[in-house]
Amino acid sequence: MSDVVKKLTNLGKSMVKEINNNSSPTFTTKLRSRSNINYDESIGVLRLGDKREERTFINVSQARRFMQTIAVANKCKKFLNENSHTSIRGLYYQLKFSLGANLDEELFSEQGESNPLIEDLELALDVKREDLNLSTARKGVVAGPMVLKDKFAGEKVEIDLTKQGRSGWMIPSDVDNGMEIDSINAEWVLVVEKDAIWQRLNEDKFWKKEDCILISPQGQASRGARRLLRKLADKGLPIIVFTDCDAWGWYIYWTIKTGSMNLAYLGLDIAVPESKFIGVTMQDIKDYDFLDKLTITAKPIDIKKAQDMLSYPWINMHKEWVKELKTVIKTKKKIEQDALQGPRLSFISDYLRDKKENERFLP
Amino acid sequence: MAKDVFTQFKEHSVAEFFKKNKQMLGFSGKIRSLTTIVHELVTNSLDAAEEGRILPDIVVEVSEINKDEGRYLVHIEDNGTGIPEKLIGKALGMMLAGTKFHRYVQQRGQQGIGAAGVTMYSQLTTGKSVKVISGYKGKKVTCEVLIDIRTNKPKVNILNREPSEWHGLIYEAEVKDVKYDKSSYGVYEYLKRTALANPHASITFLDPLGERHIFPRSVDVIPPKPKPVKPHPLGISTSDLIDFAHYSKEPTLSSFFRNTFSRISQLKLDELRNYLPDINFRMKPRMLSWEQADRIVSVFKKIKWISPSSDGIYPIGEKQIKKSIYNILNPEFCEVVERKPKIYRGGIPFIVEVGLAYGGDAGRKIGSSRNGDVIRFANRAPLLFDAGGCGITDAVKSIDWKRYGIKNFDDAPITLIINVSSVHIPYTGAGKQALSSEQDLVDEIRNAIMDVARKMQIHIRGKVRERERATKIKSILKYVEQLSMDLAELADYSERDKINKKLIKLVEIKYSKTKKHNDNESESDNRSVD
Repeated sequence: MSDVVKKLTNLGKSMVKEINNNSSPTFTTKLRSRSNINYDESIGVLRLGDKREERTFINVSQARRFMQTIAVANKCKKFLNENSHTSIRGLYYQLKFSLGANLDEELFSEQGESNPLIEDLELALDVKREDLNLSTARKGVVAGPMVLKDKFAGEKVEIDLTKQGRSGWMIPSDVDNGMEIDSINAEWVLVVEKDAIWQRLNEDKFWKKEDCILISPQGQASRGARRLLRKLADKGLPIIVFTDCDAWGWYIYWTIKTGSMNLAYLGLDIAVPESKFIGVTMQDIKDYDFLDKLTITAKPIDIKKAQDMLSYPWINMHKEWVKELKTVIKTKKKIEQDALQGPRLSFISDYLRDKKENERFLP
Repeated sequence: MAKDVFTQFKEHSVAEFFKKNKQMLGFSGKIRSLTTIVHELVTNSLDAAEEGRILPDIVVEVSEINKDEGRYLVHIEDNGTGIPEKLIGKALGMMLAGTKFHRYVQQRGQQGIGAAGVTMYSQLTTGKSVKVISGYKGKKVTCEVLIDIRTNKPKVNILNREPSEWHGLIYEAEVKDVKYDKSSYGVYEYLKRTALANPHASITFLDPLGERHIFPRSVDVIPPKPKPVKPHPLGISTSDLIDFAHYSKEPTLSSFFRNTFSRISQLKLDELRNYLPDINFRMKPRMLSWEQADRIVSVFKKIKWISPSSDGIYPIGEKQIKKSIYNILNPEFCEVVERKPKIYRGGIPFIVEVGLAYGGDAGRKIGSSRNGDVIRFANRAPLLFDAGGCGITDAVKSIDWKRYGIKNFDDAPITLIINVSSVHIPYTGAGKQALSSEQDLVDEIRNAIMDVARKMQIHIRGKVRERERATKIKSILKYVEQLSMDLAELADYSERDKINKKLIKLVEIKYSKTKKHNDNESESDNRSVD
């Protein structure tokens, strides 16, 4: 019996014990609300506080959710025992399919009901959803001098990330179980927000020329991508992030760096506080004359996001970022990564090289 | 007055008088006529039993002889004292001979003209005499009774005399131009209401369709014999005063006032005389003119009187009404209030009783639903007609029922039983089917209704709470089976049924009836949203 199966079984046993002692079964998990999210300054990561919430079955407003939580737990136990994996959407359909014992309503009516319960279970049992054989959507692409070993579906394969051609290697949702880094021949890691820019740099063989691992999270970084970055940082590689010059792009960086509020319960497992930001910045407009002509107007939601970010203490503590965000709010301008291709297609490489050599990073 | 009216008609026949005043006497409309007939006879029976301190058992039978002619046979039987042979004629064969006239006493028989009226009606519509069997003090007399319509003298034809231990009266009359109907104006409804207001009576009704309806006795207590009380000066009208004065045997107006009315002391009499120096208080009372009486009545209103005594008023009683409501309406909820005596017109005491029945057979049945019903009584006698112009109806209409959890009174399964008791009921007209909307009276009835409505509201709230409780239990119980199944599997626990049973028990204990409802219980989502 695996540890996780044991944890699930014990959760059930404690509830059965409560019932046999004539009290309502309870389920305790950490409170995931904003009030319980703290910024841990010592390591630079968003963490979940110690506030707990106890749910009880015999309560009108909690009964359904309680029953659903145990249904999820039981289903995950089955997956583990069968050694099969599914997505959280697959889990939802598995649960939805079982009509429920003597129930004239659906066990789950939408995936929005089952998703938070998975997070509750992760917290209550101190496991990650990947440990429960649940996967999230794959997202993120990698190329560079790194070899992986992947045990999957009864087979072991070696994956050389220098030989993935134009498409690169797609980051799975789980990079921990059955997946390990065999060797790395890179000096650093470059995270590029946009897939198009990643393709540009891949075509330039940027990773070969600059001895780096080239990763695109393809927008907001998935759990798998962030977990992979954490593992690469643990191997001692500096993580450098490159995004659009707007609040949303910058927030992708901050999610990688400190973790997100949604996944604050995963703490350091999924955050890379060592990471640095290379660009694009508002300062770049001054430093690279041509960019001034290539700015576009920031939309109200960009401004709103910038204002929100100014209110986050873990961002607000960096004066460089305060300056950048205030400039966005003041000038209402933004620049896309793609703008750096203005002078010539390969200018992006020059830009990155230039900034890296001069260590013109933001914290 | 009525006697005077009657004497004026002396040269004409009694029949003429009856025909001309049919409407006033309650014989208007076919359904109403039959109800009036039954009413006169039942009232007689109830009064006779009361006089004899007997718990009344009354059987009423109405059978159809010819529907097209509206010809019916009305048969009534009671267990009262019966009537002595020599009084049978006067009681049942002589118009306006009743002993009730001019007694200032709370009585049912303030309405109508008594059983002789029925005899007259029968005779006028069918030409037949009525059949009477009276059991009185060991003797049973069977006879036929007619009225000599020229002289208003009874004609009694004795058919049989025999010794018998049975006491009571059987009265049987054939009548025409009437109609039996189960509407709210009909005999059935009248008897049901009479039974409600007379819980000491047992009433059996055999209707023309052969169906037997029994309104059983609810209490074994015979109401006290009403005793005559002296009228209070504030409760008197000019015509009342003339009436009293003309029948008075007092030698002077002064002694008439002091001995006929309550609360008129020598001191007050002097005050009265000071107001009216030109009236000779030594004259014979019967010399009092209308104009003088009118002035005296208006002076009565200026003098400060001691409130009248409410001694002569006999309400039905809270317990009695409650019992009869449970007995007859079988309600889910019932509340009765008997208010303290109040006065209207500054001097006439009255007592209001209101009973409210909710659910069960309460409310007027219309199809499958039940509508709000108001049953009005004056001195225990049901008022079936003229509801629209009645002060009781006004009081009911003035209630904001929404305040008591009733969206619409007309659609609610409620029966309101309202009895006004007084030695002088302020009827609106000669039909004596509605009370005038005296402000004091309407206010008092309104207050009494609000008393019982508040109690009903508490009951309805309790019901709502009970429903909520049941909903809560249900909303948790439906998940028990699924949870037990998953939990047993998750915990590798074989006794799934045991979990199931224990959980059901836990839910039931938590939301059990005996547990005080805790409104502060956190039913809200205790997880705040990011």
